Amino acid sequence: MGNILIVAEITNTGAIREASYELVSIARKLADASGRDIKSVVIGSGVGDLAAEFASKGGGDTLMADDAALSDYNVDGFSRAISAAREAADADLVLISNTPAGWDVAPRVAAGLDAAYISDCFNIELEDGNLVFYRRVFNGKLDAQLSAEGVVVVTVQPGATEAYEGSSDGGTSALAVGLDGLRTKFVAVEQAEATGVDLSKADVIVAGGRGLGSPEKFEEVMKPLAEVLGGAMGASRPVVDAGWLEHAYQVGSSGQVVSPKLYIAAGISGAIQHLVGMKASNFIVAINKDPDAPIFEVADVGVVGDLFEILPPLTAALTEAKG
Amino acid sequence: MKVMVCLKQVPHQDARLDVAADGSWIQEDNIKFEINSYDTYALEEALRAKDAGEAEVVVVSIGPDRVTQALRTALGMGADRAVHVKDPEADASDSLGKAKILAAIAKQEEPDVIYCGLMADDGNFSAIPPMLAELAGMPSATGVISSEASDTSITVRRELEGGCREVVELPRPCLLAIQTGANQVRYASLKGIMQAKKKPVDVKTAADLGVGEQVGAGAAKVKINKIYIPPKSDQAELLEGSTDEIVTQLVGKIRELGVL
Ligand SMILES: Cc1cc2nc3c(=O)[nH]c(=O)nc-3n(C[C@H](O)[C@H](O)[C@H](O)COP(=O)(O)OP(=O)(O)OC[C@H]3O[C@@H](n4cnc5c(N)ncnc54)[C@H](O)[C@@H]3O)c2cc1C
Repeated sequence: MGNILIVAEITNTGAIREASYELVSIARKLADASGRDIKSVVIGSGVGDLAAEFASKGGGDTLMADDAALSDYNVDGFSRAISAAREAADADLVLISNTPAGWDVAPRVAAGLDAAYISDCFNIELEDGNLVFYRRVFNGKLDAQLSAEGVVVVTVQPGATEAYEGSSDGGTSALAVGLDGLRTKFVAVEQAEATGVDLSKADVIVAGGRGLGSPEKFEEVMKPLAEVLGGAMGASRPVVDAGWLEHAYQVGSSGQVVSPKLYIAAGISGAIQHLVGMKASNFIVAINKDPDAPIFEVADVGVVGDLFEILPPLTAALTEAKG
Repeated sequence: MKVMVCLKQVPHQDARLDVAADGSWIQEDNIKFEINSYDTYALEEALRAKDAGEAEVVVVSIGPDRVTQALRTALGMGADRAVHVKDPEADASDSLGKAKILAAIAKQEEPDVIYCGLMADDGNFSAIPPMLAELAGMPSATGVISSEASDTSITVRRELEGGCREVVELPRPCLLAIQTGANQVRYASLKGIMQAKKKPVDVKTAADLGVGEQVGAGAAKVKINKIYIPPKSDQAELLEGSTDEIVTQLVGKIRELGVL
């Protein structure tokens, strides 16, 4: 058996990402139960202070892959750094956050090691001495339990566990990484474009998903409801991908994060990438014909039924109630 | 120029999902299948490369007989030929095993660009594209929402969180894992569907590709023990009754919030 390697991630504002401390929580739980040691790696340029911080806040002994060539995310450079750290840490479990950088690099690291890869876990447990991994499949409609053989590279869903808040007395040390001949070249990070639509200020958001079926239906059913409530329209990703609404209306991890007083979700299944954008709403109403849809897990009130039968009479009743 | 597109056929997004008797996957009999949504955007990206130049588009899929349908659809949309890995051992492989099969095909085909979808709508692993790139010795980028090719390289935008994008330049050959919404996917034309019937579909096994020993259930390092309906923890209060009764209750709740 080997150790656990935590790959800490640095945000573009130069701090350790909260999700990295969530990895610490998982690593602590597994380390205590299985007798593994925890080691970490921080990758970047001029990362001494961040590495020391991580080493003292749960990361344990922390390796520093510190090089100007690593100052921005680069899949080739980061995968070499993680592989080198895994070897130095003698780890058989590598924990990485399932972020845009994490899901980009982690499978490469696994393939390079001829090792198992399991993505987007919401939990890892030690059961009868073996690691078991829990993750969603079918966009959240079903859960899966998996096991792995040998070295395993894992990505963990951000927000799935509490961040670790304790301390540790790890030290830091430099990690040598060969960085010649990197093929991918980081050019820039472009910030989100400002548009006229700011869902974060709306008191009411009426959001529709793929269940609306067509842009005509979306317009016909969702718009009048939004209007009577004086609210904004919102949408899940497939609605935006199909061009029914502009990207500015998309709610979720790659859209806007909102927390209105009232969020109505119609024909939206409740994939995690949507939920992270709206679950902090004050009051959530979900309408979905599938009683097992994960959206009902975050909703306050739910209606299992056909949105086309519920929403038009609801709009009419609200119009009447307003007088 | 040649480009390769990896396609997976997955249960239709509106198909009923029931757990199979052995508990390790869903019951696949008598449900509808379709091309994974992410892969349709990857295919479209490849077809645009073809429209812009002289690229030959080779579509590749691992799966049972039913996958022929997905490959025919892709050929109907404009792909030139298909490779179908039809082999129960290939189907029983984990992501790494499947990546090895695809890497063996990439070695034979020597594409300038490999297009994949960012993930599949069934397993949601997002594993194979970067694994395939690593095994094929190519650089890769995932979550690609736009790409611009020059003679020797491709500049892509990767989607980050909250609307931010990362601009990355990759030399060719390379692999791009495309995010949904990257383009507007075309439909197969009637003429395309007719022409597709004459386009070649090469059927292969893992052994044909020289990786028979490295794939299959026996070689898999990851095993799905079981799948199940997520336990209900914090369920919503479900409103019941006639439509009128439900609407009345909803109006009451909304009124209480003071947003009317
Ligand atoms: C990196 C990444 C980022 C992503 N970012 C986002 C994001 O920012 N926002 C986002 O939303 N998604 C995002 N996604 C996509 C996400 O994984 C899901 O695919 C998406 O949220 C599903 O949208 P949906 O619920 O509308 O569609 P589906 O999951 O297809 O659900 C449609 C629902 O409608 C119901 N339905 C159908 N007809 C009716 C009817 N007549 N009445 C009532 N109910 C009906 C069905 O039961 C079903 O539950 C992202 C994915 C990835 C990989």
